[in-house]
Amino acid sequence: MALSPPPVDTEEDPIHEFSIEQTLTVILATYDHSAYKIDVSVVKHRAIEPARGTRGEPVELVVDCYTATSAAGVGLSALWASIRNRQSGLSWQDLAGSDLGTWVGRVSALDESPLAPTLQHLESRCNRLAWLGLQQDGFLSRMKQITARLGAHRVGALIGTSTSSIGRTEEAYTRLDASGRMTVPYCQPDVHHMHSPGTFVVEATGIAGPAMTISTACSSGAKVFAAAARWIRHGLVDAVLVGGVDSLCFSTLYGFRSLQLVSSEPCRPFDRRRDGISIGEAAGFAVLMRGDLAPGAEHAFLGSGESSDAYHMSHPHPEGKGAVLAMKKALERSSLSGDDIDYVNLHGTASKANDLIETLALAQCVGRATLASSTKGWTGHTLGAAGMLEAIIVLESIRTGLVPGTLNCEQPEDSLHFPILSENTERLVRRAMTNSFGFGGNNATLVFGARGG
Amino acid sequence: MQPSCLEHVVAEFDITGVGVWSSHFPDWAAFCRGLNSGVWSYGADLDPDVIPARERRRAPASVKMAVEVMDQACRMAEMDPENVASVFASAMGDMKITDSMCRTLAVHPELVSPTQFHNSVHNAPLGYWSIAMGSHAPATAVAAHHFSASIAMLEAAVQCFEESAPVLLVVQEGDAPLALEGSCKSDHPLAVGLLFTPAGTTSKCMARVGFTVKPNEIAWPSLPAGLADSYSGNPSGKMLALLAVLAQHSSPETGSSPHGVLEFPLGQHTSLNLEIRSAEPGRTP
Repeated sequence: MALSPPPVDTEEDPIHEFSIEQTLTVILATYDHSAYKIDVSVVKHRAIEPARGTRGEPVELVVDCYTATSAAGVGLSALWASIRNRQSGLSWQDLAGSDLGTWVGRVSALDESPLAPTLQHLESRCNRLAWLGLQQDGFLSRMKQITARLGAHRVGALIGTSTSSIGRTEEAYTRLDASGRMTVPYCQPDVHHMHSPGTFVVEATGIAGPAMTISTACSSGAKVFAAAARWIRHGLVDAVLVGGVDSLCFSTLYGFRSLQLVSSEPCRPFDRRRDGISIGEAAGFAVLMRGDLAPGAEHAFLGSGESSDAYHMSHPHPEGKGAVLAMKKALERSSLSGDDIDYVNLHGTASKANDLIETLALAQCVGRATLASSTKGWTGHTLGAAGMLEAIIVLESIRTGLVPGTLNCEQPEDSLHFPILSENTERLVRRAMTNSFGFGGNNATLVFGARGG
Repeated sequence: MQPSCLEHVVAEFDITGVGVWSSHFPDWAAFCRGLNSGVWSYGADLDPDVIPARERRRAPASVKMAVEVMDQACRMAEMDPENVASVFASAMGDMKITDSMCRTLAVHPELVSPTQFHNSVHNAPLGYWSIAMGSHAPATAVAAHHFSASIAMLEAAVQCFEESAPVLLVVQEGDAPLALEGSCKSDHPLAVGLLFTPAGTTSKCMARVGFTVKPNEIAWPSLPAGLADSYSGNPSGKMLALLAVLAQHSSPETGSSPHGVLEFPLGQHTSLNLEIRSAEPGRTP
């Protein structure tokens, strides 16, 4: 059944009352994303027609707004200043109760960032991080505008995480009672499960559409875009709050240590001296929306590719087969060739295996003029949040024309199959890609573009 | 907002294969027999040999449950799993591993083992499955606490419809250790596998299912008599209501009495409506 999309009356659209040029001017002039903070004193309830996206019918998908919080900065301005100044957010690991000698991407502001009083039953480091992240760049107030305008039922939530609130569960296990049950204050039924950050985001924003957590290890934060695109195309919802949240915890610190994948120094992606990852934490959020409902949005979501390695639980396919499949599928779905991609934000964890194999795969997928780098030297590997954080870095590269060169890559490995960008570079970025690969051989690639570009 | 605002084009898929495993019914045939007789057979330990020996040594029970029912569903549908996307759902993931890792981390964190760690990821069952089957198809592991079963059915249905490709769904939960009982009261492990294929694309159709999402708050459908006590606390137990309708379709006594409508809550504000009927094999709607 082919239903044409409802006409959009931009004059009646209180959020997008600025033209694209005006919005750009505001953003570029203030550089604090105040465009997201436009005061909407009167939000009209507009009836949204049901169901347009049917199989085969193209639906434009755009990114309406986004924000990121990581060790490299709380909020977009801080993140981009760190990247511009090549200031790493990594620090010596000093979590209470651990003497593991490694560098981590820790969000130090978390200690002084309590949850709102109405959300305190959901206390966990992961949810604190989500809460801090939601409050940056006017994101939360923007969400309230969107749900008021579209109807809370027409907005879904998809959150990627690898470890959810396991840090809180770990703490609870240090204080079990004699019978083996949790004790106060850890008796939190809505925290000790995989959907904890999804539960939190729904409660914090009032979203009433379908809500789900995706947990596919380190590809989680990318796969939420693929799933959200399907939900919107299907007509299930008109917009999806997509997020990636993962916080530092013992499970991942000691787990990656057991695999001998943790570096004792700040990670050096693609450098010949690299010897492992730096684990980080991050919360990133964006709103993916039907394009006709967001005429002022600057970024288009062009496509995604998902695949499995079918090789090993914790080692990438030696020829990068799954990575190639994910990238090629993402390009095909974006109707682009590899030469069309101006920048690729790589998975680039600084593990020996990933970095070499990823360049092997990349060389089969993009053109030689494409710039490629890893930003994990700034943030650490933020695991289930990495796909979202790096999608946001890609969006900022498209918006600003600044392509981050790989921090800490001073002596690129000779045997790399694709040149890695080391220095920050100014370049018009019209279309960009980001890779995320996880345990279980789970891969996802996303492609974004300047809208109309 | 009027309730009709959420209803959209009726999308359909076919269920072409079912797999199930629990201590009460080791496979689909046993489940159907139990429904008719009210007597449940007890299954033996699981060790599915579709997992290569090298991987099977390291595979935890949660992986074996998932792979078992995924394999059962594909065999019933005579579907080669190589190009079939997969969706895995569990509210808690592998609770035995969580319990054991948290106990280790509380005392001797440096003793966490590499195998324990890589088995702890939520998508571990899909990782093992993809390796066993040589499948490079997309794999998605999801959770939504009490609503994990219904949201996973929706996700698999949307993937099947939007990608025009088969999707193998597995919904499962183990039994909860004492420390995690507050979040999950599951005391009987259960795994359910379902193969969704685009409507009318194979000759092995058990049932055609139309699905819609509605903005209302509803209660869960009731579980089959005799199973409610054991599985009402298990988030994947919600799948048994669907299996009971499917079993009724495939039962020779009732022939093709095709209709069933099931509504599952997706959360506090929305529900998944499944309209189940028999479909002539190979007939497109």
